[in-house]
Amino acid sequence: MTLSWTTLLPVLIILSSLIPGLLIFATPEAAARRRITLNLTGVSLKLLLVGLMLAGVSQGLEFRFELTFLPGAQLVLQGDALALQFVALSSVLWLMTTIYAIAYLENSPLRSRFFGYFSLCVSTTVGLALAGNMITFLLFYELLTLATFPLVVHRGTPEALRAGRVYLAYTLGGGALLLMGIALLHSIAGTPDFVPGGYLTALADEHAFSLRIAFGLMILGLGVKAALVPLHGWLPQAMVAPAPVSALLHAVAVVKAGAFGIIRVVYDVYGIEATTLLSLTQPLMWLAAITIIFASIRALQQQDIKKRLAYSTVSQVSYITLGVSLVGPIAAVGAIVHLVHQGLMKVTLFFCAGNFAETLGIHKIQEMDGLGQRMPWSMAAFTVGALGMIGVPPIAGFISKWYLITGALEVNQQWVLLVLGGSALLNAAYFLPLIYRGWFRAPPAGGWHDNNFADQRLETHWMLLLPPLITALLSILVGVFAGTIFSPLGWSQFIVNREFGL
Amino acid sequence: MNFALLSLAIPLFSGLLLLLCGRALRTRITGFIAIASTLISLVCAWFALQEVAAAGTSLLLNLGGWETGLAIRMRLSSLSALLLLFTALMHLLIGLYAGLNRAGINRDFWALSCFLHGSLAALWLSADLFNLYITLELLGLTAVAMVALSGKKAYRPAAHYLILSLAASLFYLLGVALLYGRYGELDVLLLAPRTEADVTTRLALLLMTTGLMLKSALWPLHLWLPPAHASAPTAVSALLSGLVVKGPLYILWVLWSEVAPPALAQQIGPVLAIAGMIALTAGGLSAMRSPSIKTLVAYSTVAQLGYALMALGLLLTWQLPQMHIALWLFVIAHGLAKASLFLAAGEMQSSLGTRRVAGLRGATQTVPVAMFAFAVAGGSLIGLPPSGGFLAKWVLLEPLLSQPQNWPWALGVLLGTLVSAAYIFRVVALSFDRARINPPDINPDRVGHWLALLPALMVWGMALSGEWLIQLLAGGGV
Repeated sequence: MTLSWTTLLPVLIILSSLIPGLLIFATPEAAARRRITLNLTGVSLKLLLVGLMLAGVSQGLEFRFELTFLPGAQLVLQGDALALQFVALSSVLWLMTTIYAIAYLENSPLRSRFFGYFSLCVSTTVGLALAGNMITFLLFYELLTLATFPLVVHRGTPEALRAGRVYLAYTLGGGALLLMGIALLHSIAGTPDFVPGGYLTALADEHAFSLRIAFGLMILGLGVKAALVPLHGWLPQAMVAPAPVSALLHAVAVVKAGAFGIIRVVYDVYGIEATTLLSLTQPLMWLAAITIIFASIRALQQQDIKKRLAYSTVSQVSYITLGVSLVGPIAAVGAIVHLVHQGLMKVTLFFCAGNFAETLGIHKIQEMDGLGQRMPWSMAAFTVGALGMIGVPPIAGFISKWYLITGALEVNQQWVLLVLGGSALLNAAYFLPLIYRGWFRAPPAGGWHDNNFADQRLETHWMLLLPPLITALLSILVGVFAGTIFSPLGWSQFIVNREFGL
Repeated sequence: MNFALLSLAIPLFSGLLLLLCGRALRTRITGFIAIASTLISLVCAWFALQEVAAAGTSLLLNLGGWETGLAIRMRLSSLSALLLLFTALMHLLIGLYAGLNRAGINRDFWALSCFLHGSLAALWLSADLFNLYITLELLGLTAVAMVALSGKKAYRPAAHYLILSLAASLFYLLGVALLYGRYGELDVLLLAPRTEADVTTRLALLLMTTGLMLKSALWPLHLWLPPAHASAPTAVSALLSGLVVKGPLYILWVLWSEVAPPALAQQIGPVLAIAGMIALTAGGLSAMRSPSIKTLVAYSTVAQLGYALMALGLLLTWQLPQMHIALWLFVIAHGLAKASLFLAAGEMQSSLGTRRVAGLRGATQTVPVAMFAFAVAGGSLIGLPPSGGFLAKWVLLEPLLSQPQNWPWALGVLLGTLVSAAYIFRVVALSFDRARINPPDINPDRVGHWLALLPALMVWGMALSGEWLIQLLAGGGV
């Protein structure tokens, strides 16, 4: 193996957060400055390297690193266009979340442990995105579970521990199923690299039964993290974790890892052709549709802001699965771009919810009355995120929905329109009341629960305020500039052209 | 071959030396001698492995130059060389811990651990059923003495262990006698082509199997193990669980895959595999319910031996080389992980001043390194990638999944994974409790904690040398 920079770059991208993470574990609790320096150095370095790889891939360079592992299944890291979509998303959001978390956890105990695992979590997410075959994917998928668990139980309260146990039960169970599916697939076809169009088309006839079972096992395994109904139970429970962790679970890492895995399995392992031949798309489509509607209804029933957001994630992430299962190029663009769009909007919403809780002690929806007067900036960012989720142009969410709808029409699945339309209505029903209360109701007569940062120029700590404002701005910008080549949409089209051989 | 004999002889002689003049030496020097001899033995085992790999086939040696049939025959295969290496490595890791941790250890430990090392090395190298009996007896007696090292409270479990061990040896010896009466031969290689599936052979094999299963605590003959392993000193528990129970397992493998007629082996295979599956679940459930830390770890040995037993059973049923690889990968991965688990458990017990699992609340804050070692080693037991446990499970799963009629066995593996995850994460989840922290009695012993982590890191490193290990084991187990 010759070591050139194209070989090493994928490893360096992982190491750029792994090494700071390990150093942070060894940092004494009091050395906040050193910890912040390590964190920010890691983030900047990673963004730089990701930028380099983006430039390289758009020039047609290939980035590949391999290491012997199992017979017939190497550890492969590969920077292809789809991987980069996810890597870029999680790196950018990691920067935002790190800034946010530094302020959020100011003066709380065990920060070295928290930021250590935080960095590990991003390292495994990036590794998962760059994984070049199913074995490597599995490896990082399991490591992601292990790296996020300490964050979910970070508070160490009985509720946090309960949520942590539920989280583990779901994710380790899912991991075991995924392992079974991958091992079964390996026994049929070995474990070659991901290729656009998949590598199973030739085997689809002969091994139809086993391939269906393997697909089912893998989707179940991935569906746990992607929170497909009925495997979504861990996600609302995990809301007890601190707000930066929620952002991580919902937008940057865990849920996305599941959805990303489904994209990989359908496009790059089975391929559109084999998936259609084995008639696997229909069940997946139904599963996604049921998840979208069911979770939206559940969201409507929640009175806790974070819980409502959690169910909204369950619903929104299934847009990705739905788009994938429609197997048309336009819907595929919608699915892949939604990976980024949902991340931007959802992270904004969680940052804002965290700000409300940190600043004024607001957790319930009824308590949001008049919030816009006290915290106009956070409330504005929240509004952008919520409207985007509903699908109001020109915010990011509109673009994804537009592509999903045209994609469904392209492949003659008109009923999907009903699902998407119904979901948009439900989204409006569970987000508009929050916006209404925030802007148009009067603040509570008795004053706020807590009133932190009251005497300052800004409505809250600047490091808590900046990240949601940036991500809200980004969700508008990616919508407005969707037509350019370097927008997430342009990049998604680039990916889909390769996948569908257009 | 000479290197292999050196690897066997050095610990044996240093054991004798320590026994004879150990009292005259200071404890520190005793420990130094024992560790140094282990290190030399490790190097010799490495050269022996190179030798057998270069030869490409197993090497035989008649001790004392007697002719075949009369001589005590030794055999060095790539498997036995690997096991020699593994034994020496485990002794080195655990010896380092025993010597360097703050609490120290009874000085008699060193002589006994040298004997243990020597008798295990002899076991891997023997190719004669009676020889194997002798090594087994040596192993059992040394192990009992080591359990008793922790003082009065361990005498009872040690006595039980002794009685059971003697009974098991007796069973085995009876079987050996029957075979000798029937064939007039005890050399494995000479016996192998001659055995027939008649009543005497069946009875002999049955007796020997019972004895061996009892000795290596294979389900359903496992009940003596948890109290014995849990009451021994920490370093001893690690040796017993990680290494000693693997000795009888090796003999069981020799007996069924070489000595027994293939038709019989195919009959017993499924029985062993089912016993393995039950062990995996039942042992895991007991571990999950166990109130004390060390008992939990000891039950997890019972469960994990289920994997090995399953691989052995399926090896006999299908005669697939992958099963052979899986079996020994499980043995090695479990040994390293278990060493770490016991050392970490012992360290946490002494730092936190509690034997109970519930006492581990907040352990990630109070004893972070030891808890991390526990979790990392546990990850390998669950079989999370890229640990050694994952490697073994992967090799086991491949043939199980390639034929739809074998899928029920894969279900057993899945169940085993889930149960192991349950008992490991029961502890890990508790350790994150910040509401009701159990404060440590004494300052944690840094050196001891890091040494407990070392074997766990090695088992995760196994993945990197996975291909090498698999090739080595595929190269010829016999």
